Amino acid sequence: MDEHLVSILTNIGGFTFIALSAYLLLLTGEISFGQQAFFGIGAYFSGIVTAMWGLSMWAAIPLTMLAAAFSAGLVGIITIRLRGLYFSIATLAFAEMVRLALVGTTWQVKIDGEMIGPNGSEGLGNIRWALDNNIEANDFMWIVLITLAIVMGLFFLMERSRLGSIFRTIGADRLLAETQGINVTAYKVAATALAGAIASLGGIFYAHAQTHVYPENFDVMLGVHSLAYGLIGGLGTALGPLLGVILDIGFLEAVEWVQGYRMIAFGGLVAVLLIFMPRGILDERRVHRLRMAFRTRKTEPPPAKTHDPAAS
Amino acid sequence: MIDFIQNTLDGITIGAGYALLAIGFTLIFGVLRRLNLAYGPSIMIGVFLGTFIYLHFDAGWLPVAIATVIGAILAGIYVERMCFWAIKEGAALASMVSTFAIWMQLEELVTVIFPERTYKFPTLGEMDYLEFAGLEMRAEHLIMLGIAVLMVGLLHVLLYRTRFGLSVRAVSENPAAARFMGINTGRVIFRAFILASAIGGVAGFLLVATDPTVTPKFGLQATFKGLIAMMLGGMGSIPGAIAGGVLLGIVERHMQAEFGAIMRDMAAYALLFLFLIFRPGGIMAQGVAAREAAALRRV
Repeated sequence: MDEHLVSILTNIGGFTFIALSAYLLLLTGEISFGQQAFFGIGAYFSGIVTAMWGLSMWAAIPLTMLAAAFSAGLVGIITIRLRGLYFSIATLAFAEMVRLALVGTTWQVKIDGEMIGPNGSEGLGNIRWALDNNIEANDFMWIVLITLAIVMGLFFLMERSRLGSIFRTIGADRLLAETQGINVTAYKVAATALAGAIASLGGIFYAHAQTHVYPENFDVMLGVHSLAYGLIGGLGTALGPLLGVILDIGFLEAVEWVQGYRMIAFGGLVAVLLIFMPRGILDERRVHRLRMAFRTRKTEPPPAKTHDPAAS
Repeated sequence: MIDFIQNTLDGITIGAGYALLAIGFTLIFGVLRRLNLAYGPSIMIGVFLGTFIYLHFDAGWLPVAIATVIGAILAGIYVERMCFWAIKEGAALASMVSTFAIWMQLEELVTVIFPERTYKFPTLGEMDYLEFAGLEMRAEHLIMLGIAVLMVGLLHVLLYRTRFGLSVRAVSENPAAARFMGINTGRVIFRAFILASAIGGVAGFLLVATDPTVTPKFGLQATFKGLIAMMLGGMGSIPGAIAGGVLLGIVERHMQAEFGAIMRDMAAYALLFLFLIFRPGGIMAQGVAAREAAALRRV
């Protein structure tokens, strides 16, 4: 496959994970500006595990996801009383603290005559697990895409399960969820931890595809982008965030004449899109209609108009 | 000790600029209950318009200041039409993401037109240091402080002594009730937006004129400084915005002097985080009951 296409597809895969993590929190009614923190923690932690400790990426994945879930759960517990905009700003503050801490951290050890480890704003380099194990870009892309397919599959299962409806109930009306006997606090912390783990997965793949990551890769731009992807693609299905990422990275990277004007075109496009589709392209109503179109059983009434988390 | 007082003094002057940004944020948030992430970038458009006039016509600081304010207002109108007027009620999340999209657009527009990394901006002229009891103060800083105080005074008169101010306060208090009283809420929001953009334009001019380099990163900085200062003071409160801005300025200045730039930014976010956890209502928080009620109304 064409080298450029491989790198675009790998990128789409990596960024879809963080978009999915923001989407999961949106389902529970929370807007996070801080998912880039867990993407960054994923990139750094896994990079340290493979480059400094010499373990394989397969060992790094569960370790990193656990670490990210733990730190995200901790943030979730600390911020549990905050709602709406207060939660968003708190996550933003946390993510910026993580980024600045990475800028301020230097911890290098000598391995084979080379200094390896986080080096302040110079970032973390030499994450060469894929190169050392002769995994070509093409194969790495398949690793990313297959993992993404598995995670998306789990998302579909979740959305059709009791857990999915609990998350959406909490997102639609917290008080209603509580009166239904749902332990809102526990589910919210669980959702935050899960979202952290999913975002870190994106960071792991990003770090191992790029081989060098910088703290500035995980600034607030990444966080707001990941939020925007879900909203552009649509909040009705886990395919929404993927569609958002494809539209941004896939479409605009591929079309050459928009190079250099990419954000002027994309920014305007998104603003106009949101005027006509305030819950994205694949919103709940459209997803429901599509589902009905593919099913020939008796038609059910469309779901009630969903609640906007930012307005509550 | 003298250093401590000196840093505090410097912090207050920078904080005055932050306070103006926070006031603009609070005004918009008050009437709309929505977050305008494109506030800083629209000020940046004004600052770059000022730079453009300075570079091409060699203009003095007054025309540059006027151009900055006009640019900020024009960009503000664009943001209001695209992200708030056009997006229907009940879609606050779409509004916020839309302001982010417009932010990206404005930032890229500026980098395409102004490809250099930094640009010069006119200062308020060559001025001496004022000295008093071993403390120094740059004359520009004193002017900045004076203009900020003047702006706050004018704003107070506007909000509490005019019909327009009354309608802004009514919409902030309860939009539905304001509409029933015959207030054209759309027009009030539009005018409050212009007012906030003008205040932002002045703040942007002052901040850039005392540190005369312009970069496309200004939009990001202005948004976050204003946002942090607003949250520290308490959302929707103008006295809070002033207190938050000054507090932020002082803390940043001290941390910068003691530990350098990374710790300065770190301290700003840590302060914000701690405030959100332990005192979400900000400096100007009312009692618990009133705060709960206010939070329910605002968010």
